[in-house]
Formats: sequence, C-alpha cells, structure tokens
Amino acid sequence: MLVLLAAFITLGGTTSCKSKKKLAKEAAEAEYKAKVSEAVRDLTAILNDETVWTLEEKENRVQTIKDWNLKNAEVDDLLFQVEKKLARERAQANQKAEEERRAAEEAAKAAEAARQPKNVLEKNFASIASSTSTTQANRIINETLTLFASNNVPVLIIISQAGGFNDYDRPTTIEDYLNYLKDQKVNRNSVYNLKLNDDGKITEVELIKK
Amino acid sequence: MKKILAMLAIVLFVGNVMAQEEEISFERKQAIDSLALEKVRDLSKYIKIVGSKETAWSEANRVIDRAEELFMSNAEIGVSSVASNNIKYYKVRPYLEHLMRLNYDRVEIEWYNIEYVSDLQRQPDGTYVGVITIFQTFRGYDKEGNLAYKDTTKKDITVYVKRKETQIGGRMIGFWDVLLGDMRVKETANK
Repeated sequence: MLVLLAAFITLGGTTSCKSKKKLAKEAAEAEYKAKVSEAVRDLTAILNDETVWTLEEKENRVQTIKDWNLKNAEVDDLLFQVEKKLARERAQANQKAEEERRAAEEAAKAAEAARQPKNVLEKNFASIASSTSTTQANRIINETLTLFASNNVPVLIIISQAGGFNDYDRPTTIEDYLNYLKDQKVNRNSVYNLKLNDDGKITEVELIKK
Repeated sequence: MKKILAMLAIVLFVGNVMAQEEEISFERKQAIDSLALEKVRDLSKYIKIVGSKETAWSEANRVIDRAEELFMSNAEIGVSSVASNNIKYYKVRPYLEHLMRLNYDRVEIEWYNIEYVSDLQRQPDGTYVGVITIFQTFRGYDKEGNLAYKDTTKKDITVYVKRKETQIGGRMIGFWDVLLGDMRVKETANK
C-alpha cells in the first residue's frame, strides 16, 4: 500500500512539473506573438502615417520594439523601412529647425539694424517725403527730432565727390531739412555719415545725393 | 630789360597756376549745375504751397521764410497780367505774401520746362552766374469753381553760385551757395 502511494506521488509530481514548463512556454510564446503583433501593428501604422505620435514618440516606439529583439523577419523588414522613413523625417525636421533658427537670427539682426539711427533716419526721411498729409508728416518729424541732440543739429549735403574731396550744398539744420522733405515731397539724399554723442543722440548728419 | 622779362614771366606763370586752381572739373561743374536747377525746382514747390488755399497760414509763413532764403537779399520778382502790359516788380517776401492773399477760392500754379538758357559762367570774382528759364501756368478759380483767371508766363531767373566756407563741428566745410537773383517776366499769354 505504501509502495503504491509513493509511486503515485512520484508520478504525480513529475506530471505537474512538466505541465508548468509547458504552461510557461505557452505563455512565453503567447507573449512573443503578442509583441510581434504589436510591433507589426505599430510599425505599419508609423510607416503609413496613421499615428498621431510626434517624431520623438515614433523614434522611442521603434527603439522599444528593437529592444524586444524579436528576431522576426516581418518585424525586421518593417523596422528597416520605418528606420529609413524616420531618418528622413529627422533630417527634414533638423533642416526645418535650422532654417527656423536662421530665420529667427536674421529677423533679430534685421530688427537690430532697423533700430540703428542710420536706418531709422532713412526710413523716416522716406516716410516724411511720402506723407499724404501735413499732420502725418509733422508727426514723423517730431518723432525723428527726438533722435537728435537738438533741432539745430547741422546737416551737410554732399553734392559731388569728384577729385577726392567733397563738395557740399549750403549747410542746413535737421529741423529745416525734415520740413524740406515735407514741402518738396522728394527724398533726394541718403544718409552718408552720422555723429553721435555719449547719449546716443545725433549731433551731425552728412547726406549724399542719391 | 632782362629783369623786366623775368618778372613778366613770373607774373604770367603765377597767373596761369591761379587760373588752373580756379577751374573746376566737369563732374563738379555738373553737380553745381544740377544744384542750381534743384533750387529753382524747390522754389516752384514753395510757390505752389504758398499759393494754395489749402495751406495753413502758419505753414505758408514758414514756407515763405524758406523760399526767401533761396534769394539774394535785393532780388525782385516780376508779376504780369494778360489784362495789362505793365510788369510790376516785388521784393521776394511781399511777392509771396501777395500770392498767399490772392482773392481766389482756389489757385493752381505749375512750373514746367525748367532749364538753363544761359549756362553757369565763371565771373572774375569767382561767382558762377547763369540764367534759368521757367514756364508758369496760373489758374485762379472763384467760389463756384469757375476759372476766373488764367495765364502762362515765361520767366528768366538769374542764378548765382559762389564757393563759401563755414565752420561746422570744429572743421571748415567748403560749400556751393546757390542764390537766386531777379525773376524777370519775358512773356505772358492767356493760355
């Protein structure tokens, strides 16, 4: 009786161990299949642009799938295609980012240049000359005069640079010159040189015939 | 005799050198020619502003000051009429003030064909003198908007250009001072 009991226990134990291994194997296979399925699904979606993921999210997803190391031909093929696609997208994104950075840099430079007294003057001279009313012209004149140390800052106009030296028109003042632009409605001169004081105010203007 | 000849040679040489120094290049002369024409064009715009009934009194007075600066101190401007053979001459400021007060509801003044009739020529004192001719059309309208008076006048303006110097910012600046002289009426027509 005892012998029969021992044999039953021994047989029973062996059968149980085999069943557990089988279950574990089946579970592993199921998990593998699920991962393969998930990988195929996600990679296909990425390939067909059917996700709402950002480029970073797609790259992270691909890295996760690669880390699974599934060794599946279909997944490997999809990975190859998706990595190529994402590399292209990354290059485009980098190029776009670089273009945006350059554009921002150029915009900042242009904004800085526009704030330079010379450019402000050029713009305001043109605006005064093309003003459609006296009120508008006077507003720009008053705005422009704030750039100067005084309304009597001298304005020299170069009419010729022949023979290695400058010939000038009769000197005037900035206030008179700005009014001249308003009256004549023609901007004939460009800013050639400016002198500024320590406060950044203009103390002398040299113009040249266009 | 030798001494006299030597002195004569020196005088001729120095005179020649001075004459060369006084001559200006073609480019510089062109710049002066253009500058003088530009002053006449500036005057045409000032006259238009002063004559316009839409110009505010204060603006017109400011412009009269600027226009007056273009002229020599005793310059005169001729005024003619198709109704009379008389030509009246006014000093610049009275002329412009008279223009400002003309009894029309609307005034149109246009200058055209502004050009040299006599090129700028260097005078012994170094001043360049020339004559610029202009054609002026004048139209005066009454309150009903009807044309009340019109004429076209040909006028000659004598132009004086002189080299001057002034000190600005601690340095000497050489400049060409253009001044307008008399503005003489040459022809007046009812057109």
